[in-house]
Amino acid sequence: MIEIKNVSTAYDNDIEVLDKISLDIKDGEFVSIVGPAGAGKSTLLKLLTRELRPTNGEVVVDGVNLAEISSREVPLLRRKIGTVFQDFKLLASKNAFENVAFALEVVGATGDEIDNDVPKVLAIVGLNDKIDSFPHQLSGGEKQRLAIARALIHRPRIILADEPTGNLDLVNSYDVLKLLMKINELGTTVIMVTHNRDLVNTVGRRVVTMEKGHIVRDQVESGKYII
Amino acid sequence: MWRQTFKRIFRTGWNNFKRNSYVTVGTTGVMTLVLLVFLSLIALNFISDTIVTALQEKVDITVYFKTTAAEEEVTTIRSDIEKIFGVRSVGYVSRDQALEDFKKRHAGSALINESLAELEGNPLQASLNVKANDTSQYSAIATAIEGNKFRSSIDKINFYENEQVIQRIERISNGLRNWGLISTVVLSFIAVLVTFNTIRLTIYNQKQEIEIMKLVGGSNRHVRFPYLVEGALYGLFAGLFALMIFYPAMLYASPKIARLMPGVDTFGYFKHNAWEFIILTFAAGSMLGVFSSFIAIRRFIKI
Repeated sequence: MIEIKNVSTAYDNDIEVLDKISLDIKDGEFVSIVGPAGAGKSTLLKLLTRELRPTNGEVVVDGVNLAEISSREVPLLRRKIGTVFQDFKLLASKNAFENVAFALEVVGATGDEIDNDVPKVLAIVGLNDKIDSFPHQLSGGEKQRLAIARALIHRPRIILADEPTGNLDLVNSYDVLKLLMKINELGTTVIMVTHNRDLVNTVGRRVVTMEKGHIVRDQVESGKYII
Repeated sequence: MWRQTFKRIFRTGWNNFKRNSYVTVGTTGVMTLVLLVFLSLIALNFISDTIVTALQEKVDITVYFKTTAAEEEVTTIRSDIEKIFGVRSVGYVSRDQALEDFKKRHAGSALINESLAELEGNPLQASLNVKANDTSQYSAIATAIEGNKFRSSIDKINFYENEQVIQRIERISNGLRNWGLISTVVLSFIAVLVTFNTIRLTIYNQKQEIEIMKLVGGSNRHVRFPYLVEGALYGLFAGLFALMIFYPAMLYASPKIARLMPGVDTFGYFKHNAWEFIILTFAAGSMLGVFSSFIAIRRFIKI
């Protein structure tokens, strides 16, 4: 599903963020990526959405080498990948329905498709009774579930979650984690970057530890949060 | 699906356009000014071209014969001139006809009529009036007439004074045209900068929406085109205001211009070609707007 082969990345100021990392992620895996701040975890996720390009090496997603796709094909790649962030990235002026519908409008979906799909995906994340609520009317956990709903609307093959519980309390954090695990059970590959040790240990799946741009540990099964 | 997409893109562009009224007024105002200068330049070109053409029509070569010239010599010279390359027509005015014309022109002048009565005979000369197909050919025609075998019967060939006047007017006209063009280019550059800045502001204010659009795989069309629509709207509205100002102004100014320069109907020209100018103005405005947006998008939105 995802192959990262000997990838190095530097930002414009030539500071190397990733140094010759290689990582393979199979279809349907749940992978937690842990490490101290500045290890390169978020940079790794940006490579998968082609927000950044590696200075060396190859990134292959679903059989496609990301270096070979044109800028016109990048949106098509991103529709296969749902993204969830610590700060939710919701539009404050749109309600829950409109926030999810927005993701369909910008890909040219018809009104009927939007009316059909959006309520379904809001039901999956348990927000069917909050369809008209604006983000400021939702709790932290509800906001993140709304963000997950938007990430799911294109039926992506992969979900990337960058610190999805960073702004949430313990209860909401576990709710979000349960939702991500449920999505993974349905066949979607989930890659979660997190500092939350308890969450990682609760998941008990593959854990990749990064440090200073390198992968220092890869616990393929029953991984634990070790730094 | 395409209709829906286009509707959404247009709606977003329209919302961007009307969101910040002060900025919209400023941007549209600058573009209106550019289009007004552009239309004024066209008016100026029309006026100067009309004058130059009218004067060029007046350019001709008049060949005055000595009073002693024989009729056969005049006829031969006329026939020779008609054969010169570039000659359109040769009109003959006999001495008697010249006197008749002179009397008619000065019928109201008692002094001139008394003077004529005092003179014995007809003091006026026969003449040939030569018109060319193109004003650039007069010089060669005049040279050919100078070389005619009966040149001794010719008193004078009146051409060069007229030519100097025409050349001076053409120089002034070209000068005005060049300055007008430079002003239009400079103002267009300013309009592009102002619109570019406005679109940049919109992009900055919508950073979050753009970011999310990119994240969820929004097509390049959906991300970029609303800003092109916004730019086009600035241009279209500027075109509308420019036409609303220009046509009434031209209606008012045209009679005054005609008083100074008879035969120049500026408003008539713009009225007769109204559809062409309306389309041209809207096209110029929207092209300026779209171009400004295009460079703002290339600079500030990376997919």
